[in-house]
Amino acid sequence: MTKSLMINPDDVRKPSVIQTVEVPVNAYVSDPYLESQKYGSENLVRMYRDMVFIREFETMLDRIKKEGVYEGIEYNHKGPAHLSIGQEASVVGQSFHLTPDDFIFGSHRSHGEILAKSLSSIHQLSDAELQQIMESYMGGKALRVVEKFSKKSIKDIAIDYVLYGTLAEIFGRDNGFNRGMGGSMHAFFPPFGVMPNNALVGGSADIATGSALFKRVNRKPGIVIANIGDASMGCGPVWEAMMFAAMDQYHTLWGEGGAPPILFNFMNNFYGMGGQTMGETMGYGILARVGLGVNPQAMHAERVDGYNPIAVADAIERKKRLLEAGEGPVLLDTITYRFAGHSPSDASSYRDKSEVDLWRSQDSLISYREYLKTNEHADDSMLDAYLSDIQGRLVSVLKAAASLDISPRVNGQSDDIGQMMFSNKFKDRMAEGRPEVLIPREESRLKTTLAKHRFGLKDGKPLPKLQCVTFAEALFEAMAHRFYEDPTMVAYGEENRDWGGAFGVYRGLTEILPYHRLFNSPISEAAIVGTAVGYAISGGRVVAELMYCDFMGRAGDEIFNQMAKWQSMSANVLEMPMVLRVSVGAKYGAQHSQDWSSIVAHIPGLKVMFPATAYDAKGMLNLALRGTDPVVFFESQRLYTEPETVVESGVPTEYYEIEMGEPVIRRNGTDITIVTVGATLYRAFEAASELETKYGLSAEVIDARFINPLNYGPIIESVKKTGKVVLASDACERGSFLHTMASNISQLAFDHLDGPVAVVGARNWITPPAELEDSFFPGKEWILDTIHERILPLSGHQVTTAQGTHEILVRNQLGI
Amino acid sequence: MATAVLMPKLGNSVESSIIVSWLKHPGESVTQGEFICSVETDKAVVDVESPANGTLLDVFFKEGDDVPVQTTIAVIGEAGESVEGFRPGGQTTASAAAPDTPVPSATSPTPVIPVRSSESNDTKAISPRARGLAERKGLAWDDLNGSGPSGRIIERDVQAALVNRPKMTPLAQSMVKAGDFAAPAQGSGSGGRITTKDLIPRGAGEVEATPTAAADEVEIIPVKGVRKIIAERMLNSMQTTAQLTLNASADARSVLDYRKQLKASAKELGLQQVTVNDLVLLAVSRTLLQHRSLNSLFYGDSIAQYQHVHLGFAVDTPRGLLVPVIKYANRLSLSQISNEAKRLAAAATEGKSSPSDLEGGTFTVTNLGSLGIESFTPILNPPQVAILGVGSVQLKPVEVDDSLEFIPSLALSLTINHQVVDGAPAARFLQTLSQNLAQIELLLAL
Repeated sequence: MTKSLMINPDDVRKPSVIQTVEVPVNAYVSDPYLESQKYGSENLVRMYRDMVFIREFETMLDRIKKEGVYEGIEYNHKGPAHLSIGQEASVVGQSFHLTPDDFIFGSHRSHGEILAKSLSSIHQLSDAELQQIMESYMGGKALRVVEKFSKKSIKDIAIDYVLYGTLAEIFGRDNGFNRGMGGSMHAFFPPFGVMPNNALVGGSADIATGSALFKRVNRKPGIVIANIGDASMGCGPVWEAMMFAAMDQYHTLWGEGGAPPILFNFMNNFYGMGGQTMGETMGYGILARVGLGVNPQAMHAERVDGYNPIAVADAIERKKRLLEAGEGPVLLDTITYRFAGHSPSDASSYRDKSEVDLWRSQDSLISYREYLKTNEHADDSMLDAYLSDIQGRLVSVLKAAASLDISPRVNGQSDDIGQMMFSNKFKDRMAEGRPEVLIPREESRLKTTLAKHRFGLKDGKPLPKLQCVTFAEALFEAMAHRFYEDPTMVAYGEENRDWGGAFGVYRGLTEILPYHRLFNSPISEAAIVGTAVGYAISGGRVVAELMYCDFMGRAGDEIFNQMAKWQSMSANVLEMPMVLRVSVGAKYGAQHSQDWSSIVAHIPGLKVMFPATAYDAKGMLNLALRGTDPVVFFESQRLYTEPETVVESGVPTEYYEIEMGEPVIRRNGTDITIVTVGATLYRAFEAASELETKYGLSAEVIDARFINPLNYGPIIESVKKTGKVVLASDACERGSFLHTMASNISQLAFDHLDGPVAVVGARNWITPPAELEDSFFPGKEWILDTIHERILPLSGHQVTTAQGTHEILVRNQLGI
Repeated sequence: MATAVLMPKLGNSVESSIIVSWLKHPGESVTQGEFICSVETDKAVVDVESPANGTLLDVFFKEGDDVPVQTTIAVIGEAGESVEGFRPGGQTTASAAAPDTPVPSATSPTPVIPVRSSESNDTKAISPRARGLAERKGLAWDDLNGSGPSGRIIERDVQAALVNRPKMTPLAQSMVKAGDFAAPAQGSGSGGRITTKDLIPRGAGEVEATPTAAADEVEIIPVKGVRKIIAERMLNSMQTTAQLTLNASADARSVLDYRKQLKASAKELGLQQVTVNDLVLLAVSRTLLQHRSLNSLFYGDSIAQYQHVHLGFAVDTPRGLLVPVIKYANRLSLSQISNEAKRLAAAATEGKSSPSDLEGGTFTVTNLGSLGIESFTPILNPPQVAILGVGSVQLKPVEVDDSLEFIPSLALSLTINHQVVDGAPAARFLQTLSQNLAQIELLLAL
């Protein structure tokens, strides 16, 4: 408990100065004799081989991109190629001490990292292990191609396999490591510990941190490296990830195991695209200095000479030991330099040719070759042979990858890509094992909630809310259930522990769970979501919480580009068993009370749920928590304290799930259909009652519950019956998901419509103060007036709000 | 500065009027107050005065056009002045030549009032659902009134039309079912039955004539003006009210005797022209005071019960049925009622009724007795809640002191809106009316 961590004024008010540790800069001193002893000629030469392989692979891509031909093989590559020519020593040195259990996450410029880590893993793995990996990965598709031209040893085949799998991926082919869905900037291969490379600058920082969290929580071997660029130090999520990784609680509260084993490795080539980080766009002077600002250990930061592979290998070896001891996080400032431009279109207008020439004169392929020759590890003929070896391999690999017969693309005309959007699996637990809990289920708060009234009405009258299981408690029951089932499951967010979340949904979980399964994060929405993404794709179930819907903007990239896309960008190699609980506010004004459900509806790859009753809250969270897909789970703050008042059987005490994507008819009717999303349901009930008592109309009320996926069947069936439909939700009207729904209904039930499909959303304003919310959020009268004005004039009805079609024109013209 | 001539609003409920004839033509000079055209509403023909001195520069509608009220129909000004700023948007014009230099509408002194789509058949809106239902049931929807927003025809309008649709002859029914023809809302057969000759070919325009009659055998009369309004009102009446007709008869001896006395009275008294119907009007105007629930207008969510009787009476005119109203009939003497009825009937027959002559009725009497009709079912004139039909005088056997006597009787048929008026109060009204007619002298003494 943080209660045990006293903030003593006597201590914190005492004068003192901050003493900092020293940050080593290029401290490695080469000792050829010791290096020879330690590594042996074979390994030292293999590092050179790997550097040559990477250099030539990217030289090939450069030629293809610029000249359309390599060694007489013509190919037109439409997609990107961000090359790292010049940076080979930094990646080969890094991979030397890493095992397949160690994960690297990279950037848009990570071809070299993929190859270096794979070549290192191939060296370490047995033939049987390699054979098994290549046979089982995507059914051995890529292996079948490589076998045709690669008739050497298993390790040789494995090298060609990596070259081909990577190149086919860059070329967008079905045989690529990610069926072409990742491409150059995203290619990866988990069996060798090569995890997703990310096209968002710094995008890997929080994801890699989450992966390290997975290793820490589930006690998995290996460390995790985020290979990100120097320019990413300007990105908020990178800082958030470092704060998340450096939390004191790993040492003060979590017990044995220490901090997640995360290494933030800044591949510092001094340029962020065309912006020069040192001297122009940053102020840190030496990037490693930033570690001083993060924790007393300065993140064990160092600047390492990335032009010397042995210096890098040495740093990684030392840092890996620290990380395995739980003493992370670590920051490395690995300096390097790319001779190539940012991309083929880069004319290098931001740097002088003489600068490039200076670096070229120190090219690691030249200097390290000299080192090997000087110290008699190899001679010219031996070293030259690697170039002709790789060129020979690349000719075969390029021929195969360029051929549409050998390497077809995914069929874009079929629904192959659509089927990659979700994994659509259901798993009681993401790994076997006994879930770590502090008390048995029977002693938990479940015994209190399960004993409450399960339905909030008796003889039509409301029971005291405290005696009934509420919406929030229904969510708690679902969370508790899965925590007792799935040993990998963790949950975190702002004040999730002790407080139980700002709205008390997790009240009772603190007593059940050890710290590493439920903890408070920093107020770092990007890191909360981004680490959850990393945790999930590493194989664990995770529930991240955003206190208010409005804070989704703070985690925009993590929700829209990471959480949503990694399953499909990996061609379903990865699963994303992640639920993002998002609380939708009211009464708290413009920045705490907007319903943003429509924004995520627009992003492919997310499942979006929005329960409106306690019964659904539990049943839908149960569903989300057993699935393997990313779910954005919206909860209205209007409902947390509400018992179930709609489903008469009440909230079941036992486990149950709501069927995925199924809307539910809440009230049967024949004359008009009202479809709602979220808490607007209850205002629709009021409207339906008035339609019946005042106007003799029987309204059918449908609670969509799901935004994606969504089965339109029951909605269309209802509209075919009634011919009239109003859609209502608390989301702002412009761009509301309801317009998508309206468009679909218009197309699916056009001939049955007796009037236009009308959408009732919140005004396109800021959410005003609580006292004025009636003018902003749709109420009963809005629904009635809309029916009267646009669909079916109600005899004797007096409108009190402006819902005519004229308003649509005027408001849009004004942009409000 | 040119001046617009607007289509006048001839009564509160009038939305459009038909131009009957242009009395002046473009180029002619006019003086203020001079009539420039005649227009006809469902109730009256009125001459439109020129609002200014000058030249009639242009007219924007042809004779026979149905024009929304307050629309500019013509322009008066100085010769040579441009009229383009006045031209109603989207309207057809009487003058063929298009202007070379259109005047920007911003300079227009009168706002252009667009024709609402609900009033134009060309752009009549109907929901897909209503259209589908109409087509499945073979109902022509062009003439339906839409009750949806902006007059859109919606499902309930088609359903109502189907409920009230007259029966079809078996042949007509099979032709509609076959899908090539649609049935109109009204038929021309007996009892409004739709016959094959009423059917409207689907995709009209391609088909020139109905299949059963050659073009020269049939005269096509466009339904407009009074006829159109009557058609709409009658259908609307049947669709929107719950009509019930009660039949009774009154001992007519007193009425006939009194009428004889009047006929025989001195000419100077001016009572010779009093008719039996005038006596009935008098009796009704007095009887209603005791049965005010029938002297009411029904507005759906409220009922307006009147203290005075504004008595409408049906008049058969060349244009069709008109119902002028005798205002405050309950305060008028018999001779006043008689004179007012004659004045109003004459004006209606000549097409000279003023709009106010035809408005404000609280009860209606319709008399077909002079045409030998024994009994009939009057159709309500909403929002009125009752209408009395008067048939011919017939001899009726009555048992008097153990023997049968044949006494003249007046047939009375009262149609009520059963939504508002229950059967018993209606019956009591008829009972009182019969008694009052049977002792008309007593009533006249009151």
